[in-house]
Amino acid sequence: MPERREGPVDPMPKSPPPEEGGGPRRPEPGSPDKDNLMKRMRKVDPKQAERYRQRTGE
Amino acid sequence: MSWQHYFPEIWAAQPHECMMLNRIFGLETEYGLLIHEDRPDSSPTWFSQKIRDHLFHVQRRGVLDLHHRGHDEPPGNGGFLTNAGRIYMDMGHLEYASPECHSLTDVVASDRAGDLLLQQTIEQLGFSDRVSLIKNNIDHETDATFGSHENYLVSRRFPFSRRGMAPLVTFLVTRQIFTGSGRVGSAGPQDAWIQMDRLIIPRSTIGARGRASLPFQISQRTDHIVNDFFEWVQHNRAIVNTRDEPLADPNQYRRIHLLLGDSNMTEYATALKLGTTGLVLQLIEEGHAPQDLEINEPVEALQEISQDQERRWSVQLQSHETMSALEIQERFLDCALKYCKGQDEETDWVLAQWASVLHDLHGDYQKLVGRVDWASKLWLLESFREAEHLDWDDPMLKSLDLEYHNLNQAKGLYYGLLDEGRVPRLTTDALIRIAMEEAPKNTRAYGRSALVKHLLKDRSGSEANQLTESGGLFPSYVINWSIFQVRGRAPFPMPDPFRTYLDDVRVHLESVIV
Repeated sequence: MPERREGPVDPMPKSPPPEEGGGPRRPEPGSPDKDNLMKRMRKVDPKQAERYRQRTGE
Repeated sequence: MSWQHYFPEIWAAQPHECMMLNRIFGLETEYGLLIHEDRPDSSPTWFSQKIRDHLFHVQRRGVLDLHHRGHDEPPGNGGFLTNAGRIYMDMGHLEYASPECHSLTDVVASDRAGDLLLQQTIEQLGFSDRVSLIKNNIDHETDATFGSHENYLVSRRFPFSRRGMAPLVTFLVTRQIFTGSGRVGSAGPQDAWIQMDRLIIPRSTIGARGRASLPFQISQRTDHIVNDFFEWVQHNRAIVNTRDEPLADPNQYRRIHLLLGDSNMTEYATALKLGTTGLVLQLIEEGHAPQDLEINEPVEALQEISQDQERRWSVQLQSHETMSALEIQERFLDCALKYCKGQDEETDWVLAQWASVLHDLHGDYQKLVGRVDWASKLWLLESFREAEHLDWDDPMLKSLDLEYHNLNQAKGLYYGLLDEGRVPRLTTDALIRIAMEEAPKNTRAYGRSALVKHLLKDRSGSEANQLTESGGLFPSYVINWSIFQVRGRAPFPMPDPFRTYLDDVRVHLESVIV
């Protein structure tokens, strides 16, 4: 296909620059901030998967 | 040597800095709805309709359809939004279709805008404690599945044949190693069918593992893909959907419609899924895709890769050679580097991240946490299992699986990872808020957005969304993806998704009173 462009090339505001070093931080298993994730997981209703009954879609 | 040594100049680039060359992207997402009550008075469909109605009637985010779009889409079933996307009911699910986007950043922001539009409506309605929107593709109890559909605009000259699309099938079967969202267990074999040697047979007859024996697999949709090519979308889902519905000038364009992918929570995986697929489509269009990687039984391979607990991901090729999905992806990456590198900054971002993910997949999967959804989910589940001394068949793990996809930011496990700074962002919250209201300004969506805003402005209160018509047989407006008509005016075709049509739409709407 031929190149076709119209309008501003940057139609939405720019994202912030990448963090130091770029990209995601590598996970650190066992690090202290994992505690918050464990707290969040312990609050999950163990029966919610049983309640989650959906219709098949496309 | 790590991949950064190959791409030092690219790593810092963000994908927003340039559009990907000649590609229009779109995503359609069907949401699940979880009711947090043992004996709810209302069904998921009832809640979904309340959310839709509030969004259109009270928030006035768009205009509801006044016409029958199809046998299952009566007037009022859904409508176009001011951001030029759509929200509607489909098979009882709330569904959001993004506007046409010409960059990965726009399509990711528009996709997240749909999530936030619906989640904010739940909160405004006071439903937050009663229901959760779950952006996944399966339920563990009934084996229901619902989709995340990708759309890519290609030239009409695209080789849309079994032979021409063989490289695409190989790429799609193997890309799940970084695009999959992962799930606990598998679909029951009683409901699962698979294509073998052009026949579709029950999966149980080939000894496929049932849900009880499978702890975790990397993709949600693969159990439900039973064919390589097919034109329909329910009960016989294919790796490539062959329905010819370009939603654009059929002499110039074709729309590649894919329904085998999982809904992604991470922005990174969403962008990488669309970006790598876009590049492979380009390689095929230009005749540069590798031709010696045709998979022997692609549907079977799709499921075997997803379910491989050792993550060796071996694939038998028609040449009788055995390769891993990772090696196959590296072949596609090499090809894309050779023919696409340097064509624009977004392409180079995709190439760098594709290389990074494939490099890291050679090692511990935990390196992918925050970027790849299945790896993020598996890491959370393994952490919880270890801490609580649970076996894989504990029902709590299925509930955690769902919670990863909960769009409630105070509860969802993906958002927990985000809060902990473990997830890279490609957008910002401000950008997503803009995408909730505004269309991309470099595609056909911009003109449609002007139309929707005009209809909302020209009608007082919520009149635009009242379905009682007093003006005769033709409704006051009909909007479709590639054409619209306002009563009293000729139809306005928008066959080229690369054009905005903005000035023409404004002229067309001058003096129109709807």
